[in-house]
Amino acid sequence: MQILNYIGYFLVSIGAAFLFLGGLGILRMPDLYTRLQAGTKASTLGAMSTILGIGFMQPEWMVKTIIIVIFIAIANPLSSHALARGSHKAHQLPYLKDENVGDAYEEEIENLQKNQKEEDK
Amino acid sequence: MKKVIIIGFLGVIAYYLLSAFASVPFGADLIKGVKDFYLDKSPNDLKVANVVTSIVVNFRGFDTLGEVTVLFLASTALGSILYRRRSHDSGLNPQRTAPEASALVQTGAKVIFPFTIMLGAYIFIHGHLTPGGGFQGGAIIATGFLLMLVSYRKFFIEHNALTWIEAIAGSTFVILGLLGLVYANNHNFLENFLPAGKLNDLLSGGIIGIIYVAVGFKVGAEITGILDTLLTVKETGLDPEEN
Repeated sequence: MQILNYIGYFLVSIGAAFLFLGGLGILRMPDLYTRLQAGTKASTLGAMSTILGIGFMQPEWMVKTIIIVIFIAIANPLSSHALARGSHKAHQLPYLKDENVGDAYEEEIENLQKNQKEEDK
Repeated sequence: MKKVIIIGFLGVIAYYLLSAFASVPFGADLIKGVKDFYLDKSPNDLKVANVVTSIVVNFRGFDTLGEVTVLFLASTALGSILYRRRSHDSGLNPQRTAPEASALVQTGAKVIFPFTIMLGAYIFIHGHLTPGGGFQGGAIIATGFLLMLVSYRKFFIEHNALTWIEAIAGSTFVILGLLGLVYANNHNFLENFLPAGKLNDLLSGGIIGIIYVAVGFKVGAEITGILDTLLTVKETGLDPEEN
């Protein structure tokens, strides 16, 4: 029992650290895409680890916490993907130090469309 | 001169209102009595674990019927203004102008959708045992449908089915209330006439559980209908000449 408790404490502290880093990232990052990255990647691991740690501390909640972790693993990256794709479609420009870098994602989409047109012909 | 007359009238009204309210006892003691009544009666007589539910559906059930009616009116009004007959009537193929969501979102929506419906159903079925109830469960179910509506351009909802669900759920509520007039001990509208059961059982609380299931279906159908109507108007435009 005692060992399970210690594993739980360890996981919860890792989760708390990642959640803190995620919050710091949202505060410090310059534009939407990097903020999304900080907010989702860090908080996905942070929330999953915290909830799993609570499952270790209270073994009778273990099944419920695993279900919640699976849900977070599915839903959190998905929502950040949808947000990033939507903001790119709304012409939200990323923060660039060098103006001439260009938009690799846009080029990729154009290439794909060109290839598809050639295939259709 | 006009203003003086208005102020005079207001003064007279204020005086009579004040004298009327002054005769009503007011204060903590009165509220404490109501609280004790609810806290004592709901677990002991009605066998309902969730006191809020027992207040909303039993002690103030008529008020809840009014709330459901307000939601129904809002949904009907929105539908009558915005909803246009599609496909079989006008020959227009329903389409949304919004671009197709990516394959990831579509797959994820397909995975999450049934669980959202299950969570909503769980919340309104256990309305008398756990926090939540018909309104919350119905709103969660509508969220699931919204996820599908924004993910798939070809996901359309049959409004006839929604109308039937609303009709059956709403009449269940009213019929249970009317049965209370006949079979309950004090012959009141919406009074409990079924056996109360055991505290914390799924089949406890008499008519409260049945009413909350009906409310859950009704609210879910109504909000889903509102969302579908709003999203569908966008696609064909609001031009009445077009039809």
